[in-house]
Amino acid sequence: MIKGLNYRFFILLSTVLACTILAFFVGFIKNETIVYTHSFYAPILLAGVWYRKKAIYIALFLSIIYILVTYPLAHLSIDVFARSAIFVAVAYVIGLVSEERAKGEEKLKETKDYLDNIITSSVDAIAVVDMDGIVRSWNKAAEDYMGYTEAEVIGTSNKKFFADPEEGEKIMRIVQRDGGLKNYRTTVLNKDKKPVHTSMSAALLRDKNGVPIGTVRMSRDITKEVELEEKIKEERDNLNLILESMDDGVYIVSKDYKVEFMNKVLIDTLGYHVGDICYKVFHNRDDSCPLCKNAEVMKGKTVRWEWDSRRNNKTYDLFETPLKDIKGTMSKLTIFRDISERKRMENELRDAEERYRVIFEHALTALCVIEHGEVVSLANKEFETLSGYSREEIEGKKWIDFIADEDMDRVQNYCEERRKGEAPACCEFKFVSSNGEIKQVNAWIEPIPGANRCIASLLDITELKRKEDELRETCEKLTELDKMKREFLNVAYHEMRSPLAPIVGYASMLERCELSGKGKKYLYIIEQSARELEKMINRMLELARIDSKKIELSLEGVYIPEVVAEVVKGIEPETKEKKQVISTVVPGVKIQADKQKVGAIFYNLISNAIKYTEEGGKIDIMVVDREREGDIRVCIADTGIGIPEEHLPKIFERFYMVDTSLTRKSGSLGLGLSIVKEYVKLHGGKVWATSEFGKGSKFFFIMPKRQ
Amino acid sequence: MQKKRILVVEDAAYMRDMLSEMLEQAERSYEVVGFAVNGKEAVEKYKELKPDIVTMDLVMEVMDGIQAIRGIKKDDPNALIIVISALGTPEQKKAALDAGAGEYLWKPFTIKNLFDALEKLLGKRKDERGSAT
Repeated sequence: MIKGLNYRFFILLSTVLACTILAFFVGFIKNETIVYTHSFYAPILLAGVWYRKKAIYIALFLSIIYILVTYPLAHLSIDVFARSAIFVAVAYVIGLVSEERAKGEEKLKETKDYLDNIITSSVDAIAVVDMDGIVRSWNKAAEDYMGYTEAEVIGTSNKKFFADPEEGEKIMRIVQRDGGLKNYRTTVLNKDKKPVHTSMSAALLRDKNGVPIGTVRMSRDITKEVELEEKIKEERDNLNLILESMDDGVYIVSKDYKVEFMNKVLIDTLGYHVGDICYKVFHNRDDSCPLCKNAEVMKGKTVRWEWDSRRNNKTYDLFETPLKDIKGTMSKLTIFRDISERKRMENELRDAEERYRVIFEHALTALCVIEHGEVVSLANKEFETLSGYSREEIEGKKWIDFIADEDMDRVQNYCEERRKGEAPACCEFKFVSSNGEIKQVNAWIEPIPGANRCIASLLDITELKRKEDELRETCEKLTELDKMKREFLNVAYHEMRSPLAPIVGYASMLERCELSGKGKKYLYIIEQSARELEKMINRMLELARIDSKKIELSLEGVYIPEVVAEVVKGIEPETKEKKQVISTVVPGVKIQADKQKVGAIFYNLISNAIKYTEEGGKIDIMVVDREREGDIRVCIADTGIGIPEEHLPKIFERFYMVDTSLTRKSGSLGLGLSIVKEYVKLHGGKVWATSEFGKGSKFFFIMPKRQ
Repeated sequence: MQKKRILVVEDAAYMRDMLSEMLEQAERSYEVVGFAVNGKEAVEKYKELKPDIVTMDLVMEVMDGIQAIRGIKKDDPNALIIVISALGTPEQKKAALDAGAGEYLWKPFTIKNLFDALEKLLGKRKDERGSAT
């Protein structure tokens, strides 16, 4: 530069000196004023180009020279000044133009330096390739990135950089067509021939006439991004795998309603529709569904809602959430959970609840639910009636407010024990209704499983209680009356026997007197009647004793054939009179029993048979010793009138008579069989009868051999 | 054989009459020495008459038969007493026998019943004496 400067300076100085010498030579020596001043423009122009506005000084210097030379010749005219002014003006204009140009160049240089700096220091590899694919520029980052130095690649083809050799031309074509290229993914090969994932942006370079001269290409190593992407893809594959294996239906829909993914469950349900428009294939619509949440989800919101599918009559719980892929593209992930079954159960539960509510409400028992043993939370209509409060008043009221003070502790204890599951189901207490009226209630308190609450059902038994009291009173009165009656009867039986004493006594004395045939007959009738009367009184007395539980067995070994023989013998007069035959089949069995009562059993049954059997009839007495059962089975069969079937179950009842009409066969109060039944029962046996009306009856009894 | 002296204790006149008549039928064996119409009188008469046998009714005014038996037995533990009553449940019989009666004759009865019972009563005493000697 210094050299250049000096060189320009000398040329300029020489030109100025030449012009000065020329001026002095022409003016002083030749005294000529011819126009030589044109030569002055040479130094002015040079100064203007090289030293810009400083050319004015040269112009001024030359003008002064010109004026000095011209003045002695007295040619000092306007022209001289005008020419001088033109020198200055030309110098100024040239200086100005030069300066502007210099400024522009300066700026250009700065820009170029700046760009060079950017290119040099850019972390992205930048290369300039001309239209023939020859590398013209190669920055530092490109050296690091590709392994080639600037010297190695400048002037060589860019083909070798690409894994696909055609890639370079392809990029060129795209850049030429579109004027640029952005984030174009390709794989380049570095100096070691290793592939490097690259994202390339390129721009077309043109000359000042707009003719394309090459491309500038910026490349970035995106190996890490690609790896990340692959990882993400893998994760997404994993996600898809999860989605595939889910029991719930899953699909992914793009922003423009395109189905991107469907899992197996959903494909099985709805068919394969990946790539289709969801509202068209799933809903037969031409437009998105009114309920569709796509827009919401695309804004980043996660929504959950229930959808009733009319197509398959199912209810789904939909979970919809935004899903962003690596490129930042939003999709909607939807999980369909089939909750039809749950819904159905919920509905059933609701129905059941409703049913139970109706039952609860309309039960004829007062029902209420007690929370934590304290507060009544629910009550039915009947409870309103019982308590006299409205439902609003009852609900929230304390449970103990309904219990009379005297029963408070007892009921609380009961409730407590019920909760533990210990107390009996029922508790009776005094219930206080709204107007203070006390009602007797029977309460059942049942804990409700899984909650600290129980249900109380209350039955108003006030009226029942009153009736029970009445009944008890009546019963007591009757018991008293019965006692009085028994006492009276005991006395009555005694008093009835007393007048019999002289009848029987004197009759027995009369027997010893000498009587006519008629007299003897009358006496016999008197004695018979007296005996019959005595028997009746005795039976009544015996039953009275049975009723007052005064009978006890006096056990001994009873030899049955002996008892039967005694009874048959004792009854002989009667059988003889009626010309009846008694046959006995009695094994030699001995039982542990009350002899007198066993005799009475046989006596009553046999005399009964005699009584209801016509003259000449037959009576069979059969005793079976049943070893296995350890008892005896006795049958007394007659050929009498028999007993109508409807009477059979009742003939052993107290005072029961088959015929109560005036036309009945007289001579019985129906007490004999009752005594038989009671005696057999006392021995732990049982008695029954079978009969064929008109043909005869069979009376059976079983008696254990040991007591 | 000496006649057995009998005290008849009975509130009903017709029964007293009947018993007298019955006993008269066996005049060689029995002799009615006195009557009493209640238990109190019976105890007094027993002390006074010292009969061999007492026929004792149970239901009487002033003092009943059971008490009378006890009274007589207290005075004479060997007294022979036969109860002749319309009462006759096993409990009533037991009460009388426990009080000290030797026999129990249930109304109504025949003359034979009466004599059988008396003989039984006397036989018992004989047994007692026999066993005592």
